[in-house]
Amino acid sequence: MWLPSYATPSERLLRTLVVMLAVAVLLFLIAPLFIIVPLSFSKDPFFTLPVREYSLRWYEDFFGNARWMTAIFNSAVAAVATTILATTLGTLAALGISRPDFPARRLVMALLISPMIVPIVIVAVGSYLFFGQFGLTNTRTGLVLAHTALATPFVVITVTAMLSTYDTNLTRAALSLGAPPTAAFFRVTLPNIMPGVVSGAIFAFATSFDEVVVALFMTAAEQRTLPVQMFSGIRDQINPTIMAAATLLLALSIILFFALAMLTRRRAR
Amino acid sequence: MTAVDIDRINIFMAVRRAARPARRSAFSLALPLLAFLAVAFVAPILYLLVTAVANPETREVLPRTLVALQDWDGKSAPDERVYAALAEDLKVAKDNSTAALLGKRLNYEISGMRSRVLAAARMVEKSDGGPYKEKFVQLGQEWASPETWAVIRRDGASFTPYYLLTALDLRQAPDGSIERVHGDQAIFLDVLGRTLFVAGLVTLFTLLLGYPVAYVLTIAPKAIAGIMMLMVLLPLWTSLLVRTTAWVVLLQSDGIINDILLGLHLTSEKLQLIFTRFGTVTAMTHIQLPFTILPIYSVMRAIPATQLRAARSLGAGPSSAFWRVYAPQTLPGVVAGCLMTFILSLGYYITPALVGGPRDQMVSNFISVYINRDLNWGLAASLGVVLLVVTLAIYLLFLRLVGADKIKLG
Amino acid sequence: MNFSQRRSFAADKPIDALVRFEDVKKSYDGVNFVVKDLNLDVRRGEFLTMLGPSGSGKTTTLMMLGGFERPTLGRILLDGRPVERLPPEKRNIGFVFQNYALFPHMTVAENVAFPLRYRGISGPAAAAKVREALGRVSLDTLGDRRPSQLSGGQQQRVALARALVFEPSLVLMDEPLGALDKQLRERMQIEIKQLQTSLGITMVYVTHDQSEALTMSDRIAVFHDGRIQQLADPETLYNEPANRFVASFIGENNTLSCTLMGREGDLGIVRMADGSTFKAGSSSTSGTGAEFSLSVRPESIALAGSGAGTDVNRMTGTVRDVFFLGDHMRLSLEALGGQLVTARIPARRVGPFAPGDAVTLECNVRDCRLLEA
Repeated sequence: MWLPSYATPSERLLRTLVVMLAVAVLLFLIAPLFIIVPLSFSKDPFFTLPVREYSLRWYEDFFGNARWMTAIFNSAVAAVATTILATTLGTLAALGISRPDFPARRLVMALLISPMIVPIVIVAVGSYLFFGQFGLTNTRTGLVLAHTALATPFVVITVTAMLSTYDTNLTRAALSLGAPPTAAFFRVTLPNIMPGVVSGAIFAFATSFDEVVVALFMTAAEQRTLPVQMFSGIRDQINPTIMAAATLLLALSIILFFALAMLTRRRAR
Repeated sequence: MTAVDIDRINIFMAVRRAARPARRSAFSLALPLLAFLAVAFVAPILYLLVTAVANPETREVLPRTLVALQDWDGKSAPDERVYAALAEDLKVAKDNSTAALLGKRLNYEISGMRSRVLAAARMVEKSDGGPYKEKFVQLGQEWASPETWAVIRRDGASFTPYYLLTALDLRQAPDGSIERVHGDQAIFLDVLGRTLFVAGLVTLFTLLLGYPVAYVLTIAPKAIAGIMMLMVLLPLWTSLLVRTTAWVVLLQSDGIINDILLGLHLTSEKLQLIFTRFGTVTAMTHIQLPFTILPIYSVMRAIPATQLRAARSLGAGPSSAFWRVYAPQTLPGVVAGCLMTFILSLGYYITPALVGGPRDQMVSNFISVYINRDLNWGLAASLGVVLLVVTLAIYLLFLRLVGADKIKLG
Repeated sequence: MNFSQRRSFAADKPIDALVRFEDVKKSYDGVNFVVKDLNLDVRRGEFLTMLGPSGSGKTTTLMMLGGFERPTLGRILLDGRPVERLPPEKRNIGFVFQNYALFPHMTVAENVAFPLRYRGISGPAAAAKVREALGRVSLDTLGDRRPSQLSGGQQQRVALARALVFEPSLVLMDEPLGALDKQLRERMQIEIKQLQTSLGITMVYVTHDQSEALTMSDRIAVFHDGRIQQLADPETLYNEPANRFVASFIGENNTLSCTLMGREGDLGIVRMADGSTFKAGSSSTSGTGAEFSLSVRPESIALAGSGAGTDVNRMTGTVRDVFFLGDHMRLSLEALGGQLVTARIPARRVGPFAPGDAVTLECNVRDCRLLEA
């Protein structure tokens, strides 16, 4: 598998080097993520390894602090609202754009994807200035609107990908058996594209929950989200409580990641 | 037109008619999202574009003065009528406390105007009436200068190219010609160049490091490839802020990297790693790697293994088989991955802000500074326009070469 | 042309027609037509197959009947009612899809019960119907399985049960056996045919497999280039192809160019490319001098006997190749002015031929037909 049996000695050496380089790069990718975990459990307030003594003091700090707790609550509320809005809008759009009759598909797709492409600061500043006209800055509504715009491309992409493997004859079969179009959608189409919809929802949730820049511009102290709280913390004076927060965010990402992986595996089956 | 032609046209119209309900119902599904994006995404960006050229201050604060300036010859100091109008406008401005706004706006183009306007407003308030020309000129010779009045008259327009020009290190001379800004005011092209350079550097590094990883992913046994894939996807899933935090910690002077370097005796003193270009590029490369790897991998996976065997059986050596048969076929993936990473790197904000030094701040960081600290929305918006234009140009290239429907997630 | 005669024949008995296509055209882009001027009656209770290569318009025709495509022009009558604008769920037509389109998230029984729900049948009545339908296709015991746990043949049967459970008078099938292997396919052909006969359903069946069409159908409509080339029962289709396309699409055929010289009853007298004179059945009314193709099936050609009958056409030529194929030999002969003639000759009658030998073959004039060139 690694090496063809006809490989020459120099080729073997080169291939071995390439594999070693790849492994080194993979370690470079993964190691920094997990550096923060032991640091968050260290008793000492410095960022060195090995950890001399383990403790949960930074977690106590984190969970005991009303600011962090408010931030988590704010993030969760914004993320859930964003997920619901983005998943609904994105799924509908994906259903439309996947139909063969959709007009100007390439153009519309390029537009729907563009929130992923436009630099986040431009979205943030534009939202800050524009929503300010309607008094929506420093409100949760404004934040959710901006986050939903950022999250919809992920839903559109995952659901469109799901629909590209969906056999449209299933919908036709449901119609031919007498189901009205709405019943055919809810009883046949939707259950079969559900993994794509849920993947999109997970992406949407993660997009909102992790987003910093728009939240920086669009929130005041009361709506401050977890990433904003972390960002200001790192900026002022980085402290181990932030490590605890980062570790918890990492854990959440891993949970979401594996939830998604399970979905993809079920889809592949 | 023959009967056959008319028949053909009728049929064509019938086909269009028959297709219309299907097209309409397909489009109506996408309509809610399109409408939503129009309000929550496109409108803010358009508003940003307008802000970049909006010029309300002078028009709103000095309406009478601008009327009076209409018949000014533009060569010498204007007559008393203009000064009287200015005094009247400043009196109102003082009451509405809008004089500072005007001063700030004029100060962008003539330094010192801010204090001059405020001083004039105070003077007008205390003064017991005209004639005003004398009194203004007494405050400062600049009030008699045609250049000052030329700028005021120009700023009476609803839109101004001033901010956009500034964002490109250009300025409009009082006579209307456009010239390059020199010295320590010429910073924005440098920032743009730096942004492009850093994005290019990050793209290059992700390609050099990512290409072998993508390749090894395709040749590794299935189980190992699965674990390797996990190591690529998990960082992609982790919050950008968490990854940046990790680098802030790693790069500290008392941090882990320095500990390792000292422990291995690779260096005898602690290196400055955080707040440097090196730190910024390293962290950005780490964050962008998966975006480059995944498109390359998906292209490589589709290349049949028999291709290399065929090349070898036809007489090509290992390196020649790789470079002449394999590498060219991976090009679409390389283009897709590199363009995506380049586009995303252009818009970086968090990582340079936390890991970079003052000389590593990108266009995004300057936009943020002009919004939050200097409250200069016009300039912030103009920098945004420049960044947007560059990004969209590359996005268009991406759409031409790759296509929006090729973007996959994981 | 042949099929136009049959069309008027069908139109004479409108009571028989469950489905009628009237001047139906279909185009997706307004320039190219997938279906051109389709006129077709499907008789009540018959098994009608639409046969043709891919892109010939047969599947589009089926989709228009099922309600998934709208005709660009023309009318489709179902039981005398125009249905072009009737949505599929209101047509009450059973449809069996290519690859079955079983709902993967439902069990077999739930799949079969699906149409009953929309016909107000539930509870024990539905269960009984599902049992009956599954019993009919011998799957009584598999109701709780998921479609993914079934073999291809079983899935095919579920699709059939699902399309029949609500007792539609018309069932459409789109290449339903395409995904099965040869043996299973042949068994299913018989089962489907038996079900159709015993339930008295009208069946419209789409396939590109001619042997399938010949085995199952009461009538076959051969599609090519958006038109029906011939509509006839299998025997007529095989023995009296209406044109060159049908002759070459159904079975193997020799088509030899010739010129009409005169007539003798219902036989045409033609001159072949080498100058020899042949006779062949002809329904054409073209005059002397018209160009034709003479079609004759390889199995109708035999080694020339000793007697010189007047009802046979004879040709002498050089053997190109000989293939032994078990029960018969395939002989390629270069004859009639350099044309290739293929003959299938029972193996035991063949002498030791070798390429280059001179051989004389013959065929009965009744087995030869003149087709418009």
